[in-house]
Amino acid sequence: MRKFFSQMTLPSKLSAVWVAFICLLALFGWLLPLPDPREFDIDAPGVGLFSPGHLLGTDAGGYDLLSNIVYGARTSLMIAFISVGLGGIIGSAIGIISAYRRGRLDYLVSTGFNILLSIPNLVLGLALVAVLATSTDGAVQIPPSRRIIIIIFSLTIVIIPILGRIARGATLTWANREFVVAARSMGMRDRDIVFRHVVPNVLPAIYAILFLAVGVVIVAEGALSLLGVGVVDGVSWGAMIARVAGEFTYAPQSMYVPVTVLALTVISLNQLGDYLRGRLDLREGKI
Amino acid sequence: MTSIMSIRDLSVRFETPRGLLEAVRGASLEIAEGTSIGIVGESGSGKTVLSRAAMGLLSGRNVRREGTVVFAGKELTAMRPAQVREEFGTGMAMIFQDPMTALNPVRRIGVQLAEGPRVRLGMDKKAARARSVELLSLVRIPDPESMLNKFPFQLSGGMRQRVMIAIALACKPELLFADEPTTALDVTVQAQILQLLSDLRRELKMSMVLVTHDLGVVANHTDYVAVMYAGEIVEQAPTTELFANMKMPYTEALLNSIPKIDSKSGARMRVIEGRLPDPTDRPAGCGFAARCSYVQDKCREEHPPLLDSGNGHLYRCWFPLGHTIARKQ
Repeated sequence: MRKFFSQMTLPSKLSAVWVAFICLLALFGWLLPLPDPREFDIDAPGVGLFSPGHLLGTDAGGYDLLSNIVYGARTSLMIAFISVGLGGIIGSAIGIISAYRRGRLDYLVSTGFNILLSIPNLVLGLALVAVLATSTDGAVQIPPSRRIIIIIFSLTIVIIPILGRIARGATLTWANREFVVAARSMGMRDRDIVFRHVVPNVLPAIYAILFLAVGVVIVAEGALSLLGVGVVDGVSWGAMIARVAGEFTYAPQSMYVPVTVLALTVISLNQLGDYLRGRLDLREGKI
Repeated sequence: MTSIMSIRDLSVRFETPRGLLEAVRGASLEIAEGTSIGIVGESGSGKTVLSRAAMGLLSGRNVRREGTVVFAGKELTAMRPAQVREEFGTGMAMIFQDPMTALNPVRRIGVQLAEGPRVRLGMDKKAARARSVELLSLVRIPDPESMLNKFPFQLSGGMRQRVMIAIALACKPELLFADEPTTALDVTVQAQILQLLSDLRRELKMSMVLVTHDLGVVANHTDYVAVMYAGEIVEQAPTTELFANMKMPYTEALLNSIPKIDSKSGARMRVIEGRLPDPTDRPAGCGFAARCSYVQDKCREEHPPLLDSGNGHLYRCWFPLGHTIARKQ
């Protein structure tokens, strides 16, 4: 691990440090002496950076930005990791099986993936959330926890075809190799061949894309919030941006702070994903 | 002598966009128990397809296999794939041409070796490890213990092929197919690997099918030879009989195309002119007619049947060598 880190390029190192920092904030941020992200400070609405008691200032409503960033990291990252994890597992499984089997199943699966991919991420997520997490009856409120689950579900569906296609493509290149025939000639069952011979070769391609997918999902979550269907009344980076969208001239830091954090995180994830893809893109000649 | 495998009238055709490609046509071969059979022919003559089809390794929607293959009394061609699979590893096993592509690049040697014994023989981890060490010493690999933790890329070509052989032998097969086991190796290593295979075959009392394009290899390491050309077995005989009494002009041409160590430096290599016929569109007569130096009109018009000259020597030629009338032309 240490050796791996020291071999990284400088941008990748910085990215890794930033991502690790954000993850630590999400996990252990509640230990810090911060004000409650849901409580507003009536004496300091819209104060700037480095104000006493509010390191990153507050927004126009007096909510502490640092506290919202820290607690929002938990929600945003949780949504991202769970949906990418689920979507990654489901998508890879579908992709690997369909590429290994070929035939009609493969045709159906890749057509399905192509249809899902042809719908822009945001539109797909928006449609799912709009149908599943909005009530027509104004009196019935949908609790934030249910909204989060539905957002995770929608983003999972967005991720499945992305990872599925990668896994399918990688499997196609590995499933007809001579060592797969050799394993068959030893009497291995398909299940054993897939787990022992195909999956270990396909995984590197998937790892790299997982990082990129986390970035995609964080952005999607923010965008959904901005469109009014995200974790609107909860605490997340997207919710922060959505909340201050109208009053941003009054307290510009309330927009800059979450957007900067979100952008840095996504850029870092992309950088790490690209770096990993380069490192793990093993050709036979190199290994 | 009982035969461990009999192949009867085996044909393999592939559906391609250009039409049916006939890779093997009407091949019949008896593999006697405890013997070594060579299948010789140039690239594209169908020797690899024949051995894979005999074992039942060809899969895919575009493959059409006809004929029967009987292994150890069981008719493989009538069995379901899951039943045939039961014979793999323990009954039949195969060594592949290129040990780099036939070993999984991302998994350690020890894991790949132990796979057969664990999955097919139900050994536990410890027993499978012991078996792996035993197998590696069987194929004369020094320090087998440390070899278990290496990856294929850390090994030389010869070592990798030894590992491949060890993997194929892991479940004690009765019949071993060796599909050009030395083609991807250095000349210096080729002889070692072939010697190893011959020794192991005798030690373990296996039968072996050795697929090669080299008649020299066949002469040294087999009891019986089948020569393939354009998907057909054109001549088959016990090895000594074949070399003493060659019938097919094609076999002779193959033999002549081996470079001689005493030929003058700078002398032209003797090659077989022309190419194999298009397997989707075969000529009416003998497939070798267009390239044969003894060709007659009859050769171009009628397909020669498989004739028996006694001594178990079969050939497919209208004007076999040693036939004075034909030679004068």
